Amino acid sequence: MLDALLVAGQTTSDDLISIVAADPARTAAALDRLLDLALAWEAPGGIRALTGVADALRAMPGVVSGLRPASPEPAPPDEVAARIAELSPAAAALLRHVDAHGGEGTTGSARRTVSPAEARTPAEELLSRRLLVPREGDTVVVPGEVGLALRGGRTTTEPVDEVPTLATSSRDAALVARTAAGAAFDVVRRVELLLDHWGVQPPSVLRSGGLAVRDLKLVARELHVDEPGAALIVEVALPAGLVAEGAQPDGSPAWLPTDEFDVWSGRPIAERWSRLVGGWLASSRVPSLVGSRDPAGKSWNALAPELSSGLAEEARRLALRVLAEVPEGEVLAAGTGVASLVQRIGWLRPRRPAVFTDLVTWALDEAAVLGVTGAGGLPPSGRLVADGDLSGAAAAIDDHLPRPVEHVLLQADLTAVAPGPLESEVARRLHLLADVESRGGATVYRFSAGSLRRGFDAGWSALEVRDFLTSVSQTPVPQPLEFLVDDVARTFGSVRVGHAEAFLRADDEAALAALVHDPRARTLGLRLLAPTVAISTSPIDVLLPRLRELGAAPVVEAADGTVRVSRPDLQRARPRRGRRPAGALEARQAAQVQAVATAIRAGDRAGASRPTLTDATTPSGALAALREAIESGSTVVIGYVDNHGASGERVVEPRRLDGGRLSAYDLRADDVREFAVHRITGVRRG
Amino acid sequence: MNDGPLIVQSDKTLLLEVDHPSAAQARKAIAPFAELERSPEHIHTYRLTPLGLWNARAAGHDAEQVVDALLTWSRYAVPHALLVDVAETMGRYGRLRLEKHPVHGLVLSSTDRAVLEEVLRAKKVAGMLGNRIDDDSVAVHPSERGNLKQALLKLGWPAEDFAGYVDGEAHAIDLAEDGWTLRPYQREAAESFWEGGSGVVVLPCGAGKTIVGAASMAHAGATTLILVTNTVSARQWKDELVARTSLTPDEIGEYSGAVKEIRPVTIATYQVLTTKRKGVYPHLELLDARDWGLIVYDEVHLLPAPIFRMTADLQARRRLGLTATLVREDGREGEVFSLIGPKRYDAPWKDIEAQGWIAPADCVEVRVTLPDGERLAYATSDPDTRYRLASCTHAKVDVVRDLVAQHAGQPTLVIGQYIDQLDEIAAMLDAPVIKGETPVRERQRLFDAFRSGEVGLLVVSKVANFSVDLPSAEVAIQVSGSFGSRQEEAQRLGRLLRPKTEGRSAHFYTIVSRDTVDADFAQNRQRFLAEQGYAYRIIDAGDLSGAE
Repeated sequence: MLDALLVAGQTTSDDLISIVAADPARTAAALDRLLDLALAWEAPGGIRALTGVADALRAMPGVVSGLRPASPEPAPPDEVAARIAELSPAAAALLRHVDAHGGEGTTGSARRTVSPAEARTPAEELLSRRLLVPREGDTVVVPGEVGLALRGGRTTTEPVDEVPTLATSSRDAALVARTAAGAAFDVVRRVELLLDHWGVQPPSVLRSGGLAVRDLKLVARELHVDEPGAALIVEVALPAGLVAEGAQPDGSPAWLPTDEFDVWSGRPIAERWSRLVGGWLASSRVPSLVGSRDPAGKSWNALAPELSSGLAEEARRLALRVLAEVPEGEVLAAGTGVASLVQRIGWLRPRRPAVFTDLVTWALDEAAVLGVTGAGGLPPSGRLVADGDLSGAAAAIDDHLPRPVEHVLLQADLTAVAPGPLESEVARRLHLLADVESRGGATVYRFSAGSLRRGFDAGWSALEVRDFLTSVSQTPVPQPLEFLVDDVARTFGSVRVGHAEAFLRADDEAALAALVHDPRARTLGLRLLAPTVAISTSPIDVLLPRLRELGAAPVVEAADGTVRVSRPDLQRARPRRGRRPAGALEARQAAQVQAVATAIRAGDRAGASRPTLTDATTPSGALAALREAIESGSTVVIGYVDNHGASGERVVEPRRLDGGRLSAYDLRADDVREFAVHRITGVRRG
Repeated sequence: MNDGPLIVQSDKTLLLEVDHPSAAQARKAIAPFAELERSPEHIHTYRLTPLGLWNARAAGHDAEQVVDALLTWSRYAVPHALLVDVAETMGRYGRLRLEKHPVHGLVLSSTDRAVLEEVLRAKKVAGMLGNRIDDDSVAVHPSERGNLKQALLKLGWPAEDFAGYVDGEAHAIDLAEDGWTLRPYQREAAESFWEGGSGVVVLPCGAGKTIVGAASMAHAGATTLILVTNTVSARQWKDELVARTSLTPDEIGEYSGAVKEIRPVTIATYQVLTTKRKGVYPHLELLDARDWGLIVYDEVHLLPAPIFRMTADLQARRRLGLTATLVREDGREGEVFSLIGPKRYDAPWKDIEAQGWIAPADCVEVRVTLPDGERLAYATSDPDTRYRLASCTHAKVDVVRDLVAQHAGQPTLVIGQYIDQLDEIAAMLDAPVIKGETPVRERQRLFDAFRSGEVGLLVVSKVANFSVDLPSAEVAIQVSGSFGSRQEEAQRLGRLLRPKTEGRSAHFYTIVSRDTVDADFAQNRQRFLAEQGYAYRIIDAGDLSGAE
């Protein structure tokens, strides 16, 4: 109505009623209401909207007809229709297209001022006939009167006073209730599982405040849901106050279950569910956006603070309220139902932004997962939620939730099946003794040597384990399970590990026993492990003198079992050294003598060798020198790099040279040695 | 809240409480679409798998029925996501159809254009399709019928095959029901196979799968190629067919390593077909040697991978798979589904046992303690020799002797993996051994002697695992096995499940060394047996005398 008024500008009530596609009486009533609300007033030239209204409406995104206000002096409807009629098909199509897409477009290269006759392009045809009106820049708009003409003189082609009907189909009310209860039970169980898990291995908080994609994937795997499902579980736990940012022991921020979680997990399932639902209903979070990308192309992380919308709560409440209009025994039809509900809400709240329809759809999806709805309908509990009565809803759903059981069925394949949610104390114990294999309405546990050992580690005895199993099992404990318990018990603790500073070993049992029981040795922390072995908590250097005081004559054993004989350390001083130690002088003299002798000998050899050897440093030279030395049987000094890469000199008498190896008599080693030729760095006469 | 016997878990397992008054009805309702995973004494576990659901679709069940069965029998509310998933998964089957087109030959058509588009865009199927005929159908190269089905299954859009089969060369085969009749479940199995066209019949060992094969051949009345695991089982097929049908020995050919006969009914071994010489399969021609009207695959769960590839080219012929279990150690169940066909008939062991067609079995695990010396040797040995050490302990030999003495007069099999150990046991018991090196003729002779009761005790190695029919065995003593494979266990137990005279129950002993890897493997075995619903006891070797 208001929309039509704005399109028409200033007009008469008859005119208005004619352009609104609705029952005239209702339109008139609506107009009266607008006048009452003072959103419109009767100006001398006709009714017009309050000046601020147009701006206020334009500031809000949503639209009803999408029509622009009419031109200040609109052409009469007939003429507009005539002008449209003379358009070329291309221009007519363009006009309808622009009208259907917001009534605004850009002209591009079209000339603004042309006459119909000289119009060359469809856009120019439209401009010339004032079917498109230029605005600032090169945008053009479809003026209101043209839009009206296109829609047969009305603001909308569809009547606006008809409430969109909800597409429903009939469904057994009991089934709806059961489906919802199943979902409710599931969501409670999953939240508990998630937070149990996070309590042990908390995921870290991203710097931007969300949950890493990797962590979300882990959650999805852990909970047997897909990633959007996991995101929803996580996002439901947040507004319920069960998870919050905390710090890990090392100070890094992490998502942790809150202390309220402990209280929550002790409550009955129905109550826990109502708390989750309450949190969800009132929260502004938009879990369904998780994983999709923001305008900048970055994907949204779960728990990210930006992931909220002021409209989310309204969307949820409205969706539930509208759904509550569907009578019991009926549910939204599969396929078309949700679309019709979204349409109805679009009619009820025409001026919401486009994202509102998304929010409503998501709200319905979430409600189904949370068990507020079931099979597309509202069960009694869901209706109470829609009315805001959460405790009533909890009571209503309670009848449909599985009863806690206190027994399990033990089977020969070493599994235990709890045919319902286990009473928490039994569950805790069974959790210790067995691994969970499958979860759901029932829980399947599997016993293994590892899981039973966990129980023994926690201090259970074989007898206790068996008593416990007998007490929780409705059926006799299967024999293989008994065997497994005994097997694990038998090997459990057969090797014991402890801490000791020293051990005492004695062949004389009596002597060792006497020592251990000696009251004076009490401070040593002696303990007899076997008749001939005792341990002590005192270190050896304390233990040894004390034992001697007690009259024992202990010997210390080294790590390899040999006896370490120790005597008191005799103390000695070092004599003062002179500035020039005697040894050094002698050594130097000896070296000088040696050098002189070597020089003389070398000279002799050099004189004796024919032909004269030349020093060689190149590989070919070295080979030639070696061959010469072989022929002359002379001694040479070779520079040689050994296996370890250390270079040194050898005095050798070369004998043979082949295959890259030199066979020579090494004077120092007094033996024939092989040298790799490529390692010989040089040859010089010896 | 509903007091049904079924609990539907969110991980797609279904728990059926067996003692519940309406358990039998519930089982009947869910059996078509859920795979029985384990059946211990109180609660049976079924699993919903895409293959299972598609099998159900192929058998004519729709999602509505499945959802209805779950909702009707479930004790608690069924997780919503699961119901959605069931409907979605089942909806995927049959969106694509392979059909025979009078003009274009084989075509892939769809009622759902989007699915067809999606599939056409997939790289995997690109080379298999020909020209687009119209919006909803596309030509398929006839040679790619199998490959396409395989690829479509992988894409998650299994195609329903309506392209029909060639009739093959007619050859009259009739069942000769003289002195015996087809058991009701055998008849049902053969009929549901025939109606379905191609597919797999799942029956426990000893339930007479050969007879189902024979009945199907009688339905087909055409030349038949039978693929079996080994020569001994080929001979058994032949004997059985001669005895149970109008076929004469001359009409049945054997195509194996030793003999290469092609007759109207030809029995070939997997091995000869998969022999590869210089990169080619020289015996592949067998598949085209005649215009076969029916191809029977024995022990489908053992089909080697090359056979799958060959089968892909045989899609125009009717295919019958026979097996005791659809579980494959290599996880290629999908290939069986797409290439041989969906499951056409299934009857759990226990049901057939209850009807008296197979003998109940008493499974006992006997634990021996390694002597101290061996224990030390075990502890210090390399991991790869440990299993051998543990399985071949001498302590087991004594237990075998005690057990054989206990069951004196009953036909007994001693089964093992290690030849040395078997030789040792055979020498001690003075019994014949059948091992890999035993010639086929000799094996046949010993098996015959065992069947006729001449030989009361047989020591066999792995070779006896598959398809050797020893209906008279009443006691099996397993001394070592290959790392506790489920499939092997099924085979070994199968040896014993043939009906016994005087309704005696069969005994299945497994001798296990305590505290060794042997015991760990035994755990797998035990789990399998317990899951199959067999009473499983553990006794100590020391208490053996008190066990009976």
